[in-house]
Amino acid sequence: MSMIFEITLVAVVVAVACALPGVFLVLRGTTMVSDAITHTVLLGIVLAFFITQDLNSPLLMIGATLVGVATVWAIEALQQTKLLSNDAAIGIIFPLFFSIAIILITRYAGNVHLDVDAVLMGELAFSPFRRLMFLGMDLGPRALWTMLIILFINCLFIFLFYKELKITTFDAGFAAALGFSPVLVHYGLMTIVSLTAVGAYDSVGSILVVGFMVGPPLAAYLMTNKLHVMIALTVLMALVNSVIGVQLAFMLDTTIAGMIAVVTGVTTLTVFVFSPKKGLIKAFLNRRKEQKKMDQRLKTIEQAGR
Amino acid sequence: MKWVRGLVGVLSLSLMAACGNEQADDVSEDNPLNVVATTSMIADLMEIVGGENVTVSGLMGPGVDPHDYQPSTSDVNTMTEADLIAYNGLMLEERFVEVFEQMDQRGVPSVIMADALNETELLDPEEGEEDLEYDPHIWFSVSHWEAVTSHVADVLSEMDPDNEGYYQDNADTYLSELDELRTYIEERIEEVPEQSRYLVTAHDAFQYFGEEFDFEVIGLQGLNTQTEAGTGDISNLADFLVDNEINAVFVESSVSPRNIEALIEAARSRGHDVENAGELYSDALGSAEEDADTYLKMYRSNIDTIVDGLAN
Repeated sequence: MSMIFEITLVAVVVAVACALPGVFLVLRGTTMVSDAITHTVLLGIVLAFFITQDLNSPLLMIGATLVGVATVWAIEALQQTKLLSNDAAIGIIFPLFFSIAIILITRYAGNVHLDVDAVLMGELAFSPFRRLMFLGMDLGPRALWTMLIILFINCLFIFLFYKELKITTFDAGFAAALGFSPVLVHYGLMTIVSLTAVGAYDSVGSILVVGFMVGPPLAAYLMTNKLHVMIALTVLMALVNSVIGVQLAFMLDTTIAGMIAVVTGVTTLTVFVFSPKKGLIKAFLNRRKEQKKMDQRLKTIEQAGR
Repeated sequence: MKWVRGLVGVLSLSLMAACGNEQADDVSEDNPLNVVATTSMIADLMEIVGGENVTVSGLMGPGVDPHDYQPSTSDVNTMTEADLIAYNGLMLEERFVEVFEQMDQRGVPSVIMADALNETELLDPEEGEEDLEYDPHIWFSVSHWEAVTSHVADVLSEMDPDNEGYYQDNADTYLSELDELRTYIEERIEEVPEQSRYLVTAHDAFQYFGEEFDFEVIGLQGLNTQTEAGTGDISNLADFLVDNEINAVFVESSVSPRNIEALIEAARSRGHDVENAGELYSDALGSAEEDADTYLKMYRSNIDTIVDGLAN
């Protein structure tokens, strides 16, 4: 396999793995949870480092995932009180966890090369050079395997809990009335969001994680009202963005993750403007139509009045 | 759903394009040796010792802080064609070291600059700290860089035994130039009165320089350019400037001057005038226009800036 092909493959798998849970983040209006996670993982890394005293320990990755889960759970718990809006809950937890990590580093580990980059590689361009070897066999880029496993877990979760996810997302009250807990499904979802974010962070870097989780589902959301169609479109958008992004990056000789993020932004905005269902142009035309209808009606009333 | 079909079309086209590019040319001849170097200092050294037998590609360009380095796609191609990877070690290339180690296992060897030195020659980050990490800025000790030069010559000779004499000759010539550099540094430093030999910079890059040439070196940030300088750090250092009557501080080409400017302001508020005495090259060489595109030129430029700043 060539370099470009392998990089494209990794990008596609990461994009799809991120986009799937992203669908539900978009529908629930908690997209910025992904941004929060990519920052608070630092706290997990710092805490795990204090235990292991070793920057190369796999425990650091585990710590990162656990704090990612703690982040989403804490945000979730705050939201459940109904005293705060979604974004406010994120706004409290994310800076809190992140700044604790920063303070711990400056206070106790000022001279250690301790930051997220040192543990989570986050470089798509070099993913073909980090390979998984098993019994002397070269099985391909390691990131590909990590993300394939995460993709599988995400698919399985959505497949098994499709109905539950659907009901709790669109009508949490009704779900509770039916007797199953929206909270449990929600925590499950948030846990796979955290796992996906940390895994993807290690293969593509932090900004792209947010882009991958939010961009494609948002574009898909603007094109359809049906959940299963939205999921299919999300996967398609994720594919298109990463394939075009990698190609453009090689053409223009620039950073790959950055290029995919740009392509994601462009395609999402394009859909936002041109979507045949809910796009900006469509909305404008609809408004014009309504106005005309209204004028017509007013005219009829006037005429009738005479 | 016509547009879905359109999207599928776009996708398959781009996939085809992806496959079309697949025949990457690895028609590289056995000679010259393709060397990939991380920092510009290392690229410079590899070119000097390897001479016409090597083609050196540097990953991090002039003025790039190794921490902020983002590989571009051409770097991926460069890496694919590499026969030898030259890097600093001691966590300077942090997240990329794993990649280099893996490539080493798969038959693309590495030459690590820090391997030329033994642990006792390396500096700890700071006194009183545990030995978690060594200071990676080894190139600022001329004698360390001499050891590194010989190490590089040995590794190249081992890989290409036919040209052993050539590499050793190149190294010997360069060692005498490094010797001249040392003499130059020592002579220029004489111009600075002993009580004002303080080098205050943006981050802790110059400790090896301080050790070798008897300078007191203070970096505002730690070894890592990502660590924030706390408000305490700035005000402590400002007090230090006042107490020791230090009138010149220095910025670095690959680090934002923001903190040093804050330091100058802090000293001014204490009624002590401090001057920003110029830019030093720390984690990367300069460009050819700045006449600091080799190690020798870079070091001379640094010494001139330091001495001119402190001698007044």
